[in-house]
Amino acid sequence: MSNGREGKRPRLFRLPTSRRRLRGDIDRELRFHIEGRIEELIASGLTREQAEREVTLRFGDVSVVRNQLEEIDTRTHRRHELGEWRNALARDFTQALRGLVHRRAFAGIVVLTLGLGIGATTAIYALLDAVVLRPLPYPNAARLVYIEHPVPGVETNAKWRMSQAGYFFFRRNSSALEDIALYNKGEASLVTPDAAERVRAADVSGNFFEVVGARPFLGRSFTDADNRPNAAPVAMLGYAFWRQRFNGDSRVVGTSVSLGSVPVTIIGVAPPTLDLPDYQAQVWLPLELDPNAPAINSHYLDAIGRLRPGVTVAAAQADAARLTSRLPEAFPVAYSPGFMRESRFGVLVSPLRNIVIGGMSRTLWILLGAVSIVMLIAFANVANLFLVRAEARRRETDIRLALGADRLHLASHYITESTLLSLIGGVLAVGLAYGAIRILLVLNPSSVPRLAELSLSWQAGVVALVLSLGAGTVLGLLPLTRLALRGDSVSSLREGGRTQTASRGQLGARSALVVAQMALAVVLLAAAGLMVRSFQRLRSVQPGFDASGVLTFEVSLPYSRYAPYVRGPAAYLPVFRYHRDLAQQLAALPGVTSVGMTQALALKDGDGCALVFVKGKSYTRENAPCVGNVIAGPGYFTTLGIPVRGRVPTWADVDDQTGAVVVSKALADHMWPGEDPIGKELRPNGSGAPWYHVVGVTGSVLTRGLDQPASEIVYYPMVPIEGAPLWSPPTHMTVAIRTRATDPLALAPAARRIVTTIDREVPVANVQTMQTIVERSTARTTFAMLLMAVAGGMALVLSAVGIYGVISYTVTQRRPEIGVRMALGAQAAQVGRMIVAQSLRVAAAGIAIGLVGAFATTRVLQSLLFGVSPTDPVTLGGVTLVLVMLGALAAYAPARRATKVDPVEVLRRE
Amino acid sequence: MPDTDLDLLRGTLDLLILKTLSWGPMHGLAVLRWIEQVTEQRLQITEGALYPALHRMEQKGWLGAEWGYSDRNREAKFYKLTAAGRRQLTAELSKWSRYTEAVNLLIAAQGAR
Repeated sequence: MSNGREGKRPRLFRLPTSRRRLRGDIDRELRFHIEGRIEELIASGLTREQAEREVTLRFGDVSVVRNQLEEIDTRTHRRHELGEWRNALARDFTQALRGLVHRRAFAGIVVLTLGLGIGATTAIYALLDAVVLRPLPYPNAARLVYIEHPVPGVETNAKWRMSQAGYFFFRRNSSALEDIALYNKGEASLVTPDAAERVRAADVSGNFFEVVGARPFLGRSFTDADNRPNAAPVAMLGYAFWRQRFNGDSRVVGTSVSLGSVPVTIIGVAPPTLDLPDYQAQVWLPLELDPNAPAINSHYLDAIGRLRPGVTVAAAQADAARLTSRLPEAFPVAYSPGFMRESRFGVLVSPLRNIVIGGMSRTLWILLGAVSIVMLIAFANVANLFLVRAEARRRETDIRLALGADRLHLASHYITESTLLSLIGGVLAVGLAYGAIRILLVLNPSSVPRLAELSLSWQAGVVALVLSLGAGTVLGLLPLTRLALRGDSVSSLREGGRTQTASRGQLGARSALVVAQMALAVVLLAAAGLMVRSFQRLRSVQPGFDASGVLTFEVSLPYSRYAPYVRGPAAYLPVFRYHRDLAQQLAALPGVTSVGMTQALALKDGDGCALVFVKGKSYTRENAPCVGNVIAGPGYFTTLGIPVRGRVPTWADVDDQTGAVVVSKALADHMWPGEDPIGKELRPNGSGAPWYHVVGVTGSVLTRGLDQPASEIVYYPMVPIEGAPLWSPPTHMTVAIRTRATDPLALAPAARRIVTTIDREVPVANVQTMQTIVERSTARTTFAMLLMAVAGGMALVLSAVGIYGVISYTVTQRRPEIGVRMALGAQAAQVGRMIVAQSLRVAAAGIAIGLVGAFATTRVLQSLLFGVSPTDPVTLGGVTLVLVMLGALAAYAPARRATKVDPVEVLRRE
Repeated sequence: MPDTDLDLLRGTLDLLILKTLSWGPMHGLAVLRWIEQVTEQRLQITEGALYPALHRMEQKGWLGAEWGYSDRNREAKFYKLTAAGRRQLTAELSKWSRYTEAVNLLIAAQGAR
């Protein structure tokens, strides 16, 4: 027996690296076998031919076996390669980890810097994703459009909503829209035996659920029949409200609750994800809609259309425009040709999402741009650190190369190390982003829509991962550019050792990074500066009232008891009496100096728009100006600190229906330029007697926003004069109380008690100070300003670190040169100046490029700015100054170090 | 070459190879010779079955392979048992004995009837 063990020469087993080699090995193995067999048979006495025949016969088709073996070996080979690769990765990984533990400071700074940069970007991306990118939470979101009517003839940017008649007309005749649903954001009073509660209500058309594609969670949803004027009152509960208020009890369906003192049957519960666009409804109610009602030009309904499959928004726009042009023939009274012409009544169909997001989309994109710049600056810092380290490891690398290390292997080693760091940075980034989002949710800026949908989404996680992997790869490749550029490692070893002044290219690269960093910082600081200045401007605007020390809250009187169906002023008396009582009792509270109330509080509610007719001017329905009409009770002006020339109507004026009104200065200037408005006469809804007469003129008041022009308003009394009716009794009013207390909110419990004592069914809602209302009105600017300022601050700190690092490094590099200079008689001060000058040169280059960048890009901020030009010289000058100072400061410590260089010691080392 | 009465039972080839290699590294031809010799030519194994089996077992990590020189100083691929192969052999052996015991039990029972 021969087992072939003797004479075996052990060899390192290497798997063949190619298919050809694989095949060669198989052939060799099989050839050996066949030869062996033949020799065996010859030895047993056969001739060579006989032996060969015999073997072939026994073996069968050799090629079949060979193919089989090749297939098996290829698979083995592949599996083995994968294993090798995995092992190498694991080895590199542990090596990198061990290395990083050694260089904790380096690793810590890199992780922290990358974490901050990527974290900020991830957080803003999550915000952008939740608010802008993600579709609205409706199954049919992509096909939903919003329909509104621009009326540039009335006011440049004014858009009216849909009228009831328009709704039925569009719904019947539209060929582009499958269906149209209506909604109104409203409020309702839920009355229970203990107290009345104000709840957010969604008033919707019967088809709303079907149009947006939602099914009720429990029970049924509304039908068109529920919208009919005399339908039995029904309601659905919002999911969250049902869980919280009714403990998620399904038996509540079919029971009755009291809404505004009317018993209403609960027919179902809305699904968890369903809300009105950016409005969390607690109760869903059917709108009252009457297809047979005469058409009136009253546009109070939000309309959502669902496009037919395959129909574009543009096509729907064209279709809606066609229908709008037919309105006058369908409703000659409400939409008279004159009205259409004067108001330039049009129609605008836009994706529902655009309406919900509004201007926030632009703000968030700008902010994402800003944090991306921060990330780039952070990245430049880290890249600088890596370059320094590559330099420090030059000898190590050279030795490895000289000893025959594989360049590819070195590359994978560097990339593993940098990727490991950047991934840890990425984890930190996700943590920071999560924290930032939590903070944002707590702050709950009112200017950001859809905030309820904000979370750290997986998409944001992917962004963080991609950013960190990208950063890791680029950072790992940085030292390799050197490897690739320089072929001969031995010669550099020979030269290296002492005077490491070489690598001018390196220093150039590092300075370029810092210049880029500075330039980016200039752009970002300019943006932040512009936002801060806009914010200051906005907050220093005189709104025409004094917000400090004023508490406000809303009261809603049950319509059934406070708005009786009677003609004339009598219909308004219950509301009037209620508020007179309330004002008297509130005024008696300690610390209260005055009490007022209004239907539309400045900066909180819209002033509305109604045609006003002026005695002595030939206004008609077609050309009368549309101005703000606000019902205000006596005491409103005093309470808000709005100065009034002339006099303010008293309770007696209202009671006696003297028709005394106050107008705003802007209105007076518009109607009676150069004349004294006091004593002039005007009225809404009609061009003949009786007239209201102006008894007072306010100062300039800003009610629509601090960045808006002064408002034109007529302040009407709570009770209209006989023959000149207002719209309907103002059952929903905002009460304002001026107090001497430092915190007006301290007054809230006492005020609430008084409201409940007068009428238990009247709920109090939206208790807040006037100061808060003013702040909310500038929330968008504040939000953008704050985030910009944070981004700008980060940019500033990061660039300071960057420039300091480079200057400090140059001082180390130039030590020998400095030593020589000093040995040749240079003064310490001269050397210091030289270093500072170098820093300033880098800063100046960065600032110059940055200013060009700022000029080119700050225009995108235009819509967020107020009272500042995007190229405001003061801001840009300030930024320049700050960065020049930064350049000088960053050089201070390195310059001092340079002056301490001992020429003797340096020269000896040389 | 005498005709064989015994067809190779499915799955026993692995056991035969593992057992053979448990004596030390061998090339394919030696494995074949050893099996023929020890079983007195009663089990005939074809090359078409042997080599795929060897390569498959190499893939599974039961066998290691090295190139070496035969006693006639020719290059040959030597196979040897790995630690995993040794474990596999133990497992196959116990499986085999359980199998034959069961078969024997059945045969004995048939005879008693």
